[in-house]
Amino acid sequence: MSCARVLKRIGLTTVVLALAASMTGCGGGQPAVDSKPKVALIMKSLANEFFHTMQEGARSHQNAHYQDYDLIANGIKDELDVSKQIELVEQMAAQKVSAIVIAPADSKALVSVCKKAQDAGIVVVNIDNKLDEAVLAEKNAKIPFVGPNNREGARKAGDYLGLRLRPSSAVAIVEGVPTAFNAIQRKLGFEDSMKKAGMNIAASQSAGWEMDKANQVTTAILAEHPDIQGILCANDSMALGALAALKAAGRAGHVQVVGFDNISAVHALVGSGEILATVDQHGDKLAVYGIEYALEMLHNKSVPADKETPVDLITADNFH
Amino acid sequence: MGMNSKLHDYLRMAAALAILLAVFGLSSANFFTISNLSSIANQVPAAVLVAVGMTYVLIIGGIDLSVGSVLGFSGAVLGTAMVHFQLPLPLAVGLCVAAGLACGIINGLLSSGIALPSFIVTLGMMEIARGAAYRVTGSETQYIGERIECISELSVLGISAPFIFALLTVAAGQTILSCTAFGRHALAVGANEESARLSGLSTRRIKFTVYVLSGALSAMAAVIHSSRLSVADPNAGIGFELQAIAAVVIGGTSLAGGRGNAVNSFIGVLIIAVLQSGLAQMGALEPTKRLVTGFVIVAAVVLDYYRSRKSREHN
Repeated sequence: MSCARVLKRIGLTTVVLALAASMTGCGGGQPAVDSKPKVALIMKSLANEFFHTMQEGARSHQNAHYQDYDLIANGIKDELDVSKQIELVEQMAAQKVSAIVIAPADSKALVSVCKKAQDAGIVVVNIDNKLDEAVLAEKNAKIPFVGPNNREGARKAGDYLGLRLRPSSAVAIVEGVPTAFNAIQRKLGFEDSMKKAGMNIAASQSAGWEMDKANQVTTAILAEHPDIQGILCANDSMALGALAALKAAGRAGHVQVVGFDNISAVHALVGSGEILATVDQHGDKLAVYGIEYALEMLHNKSVPADKETPVDLITADNFH
Repeated sequence: MGMNSKLHDYLRMAAALAILLAVFGLSSANFFTISNLSSIANQVPAAVLVAVGMTYVLIIGGIDLSVGSVLGFSGAVLGTAMVHFQLPLPLAVGLCVAAGLACGIINGLLSSGIALPSFIVTLGMMEIARGAAYRVTGSETQYIGERIECISELSVLGISAPFIFALLTVAAGQTILSCTAFGRHALAVGANEESARLSGLSTRRIKFTVYVLSGALSAMAAVIHSSRLSVADPNAGIGFELQAIAAVVIGGTSLAGGRGNAVNSFIGVLIIAVLQSGLAQMGALEPTKRLVTGFVIVAAVVLDYYRSRKSREHN
């Protein structure tokens, strides 16, 4: 390769890198006024509709309260990129932000770095996915959790389904990623309500939060247990996959489906009753609750305690 | 490869599938029913289209990691066209295929025109197309509903239109491969690109065409995928590339290029689909499913290695 070509290539690389840097440059463009607290919001995958909505909610809240605080919002590529999220916390701590509001990608791995940030005098608030109690205790850390009770939400959806089925009907649960705290809580909530209503849980399998996999798993469950009357899905994407499986099997309308999250794609289906119910934990406000709590803590220097946020059952009756 | 050994290959693959069906049939009372088998058949068409494209890509000695993301992106275009712009189905399908073609053309230009490694080019496209899918849909699943369901509800003699379309694609893919100059040239490029070029073949054009074909097939798979689920999901097709590669390799296509068969890839897709459905029907836990699927892939490749070594010794 000639010298000129090498130089050209280096030049090109620089341009590409600069472009890439400017594209990923995380909304840090606000003027740095020292008197205003700087809040760093660290999210999971922004590709996920749920976290995307959460971040948009936080942005519009900041726009409305721009005199109160500055916001730096960051996310990771996918929900399994734990080490990248740890780096983000370290970066934010190094930038000396006043508060970090974090939806941890892993409930154990993030504890240590959050504790370090807290020790450096930064207010840390945990949202969405609760940090592991045992690890928190071991590190002697107290990080307040602001978020919904997933088990309670799943229980509400399950109770609503239970009222519509004859006692001891067969039902199936389509679970999320089996290691995720949310997935475990939702599964437990579904189980609570089905046991209370005296239903028979004929099958319970993970579809890893994914529509495609839920479609496949539901198809198999329907073949194995043709007497299934209800399907409880740990999120709405999987509910859509289950509904498509019911349609393909000619069972739509005879088998009830409930979901979780109230994403926009299910609005019409809940309205028409094709999906019996879903649960809204107000994703757009979850980050805002966390930010407000962080600002309150900065203001009052209060002792951190957990705070539960509302979860609501959405059905055709209260659907708008 | 002679006609006889090809027939032998088909029988071997079909036997593997039959054994698998028998195992699940014995372990579960409701597995061997018409309705269950047809529901499995209705799940595979999208994967079959992508696998046929992947067969060609592996034959020329390349790899296409972008198929899943291209499926997601072209599906996103389809969904947005129908939901946001209220375009009629044929026009939306046209845009969807155009999106897949565009991705394939870029992959083809970069990996044949300036001979960059297809692994890197398509790895980049995997990210680009996924990003574009999120951008186009605003990261929101688009519910399309009845307007798209009509495609998967269409059926002839109880066999769904997408499945028939997949069968036709396999037949066309294999016919082109074994009966046309293009097919023979693709095999020649994969076996030894340098000698193919020296013997006067336009290796660039052949490689370019294969990547474009793969992009177009991914887009058609997106149409089928969306019609089955009634939605355009920006997360659709994540991990699809590895599933397609696994199916194609189980079908005996060589990752080193120069050897492959579309019919066997089709049976490879069926083997994976039967395995997944059967395990789900047994209520197997997630770790078990993954362990078994992984073992089957490795076992298939090991068997293939010994078989191809034997046939080389024969020659």
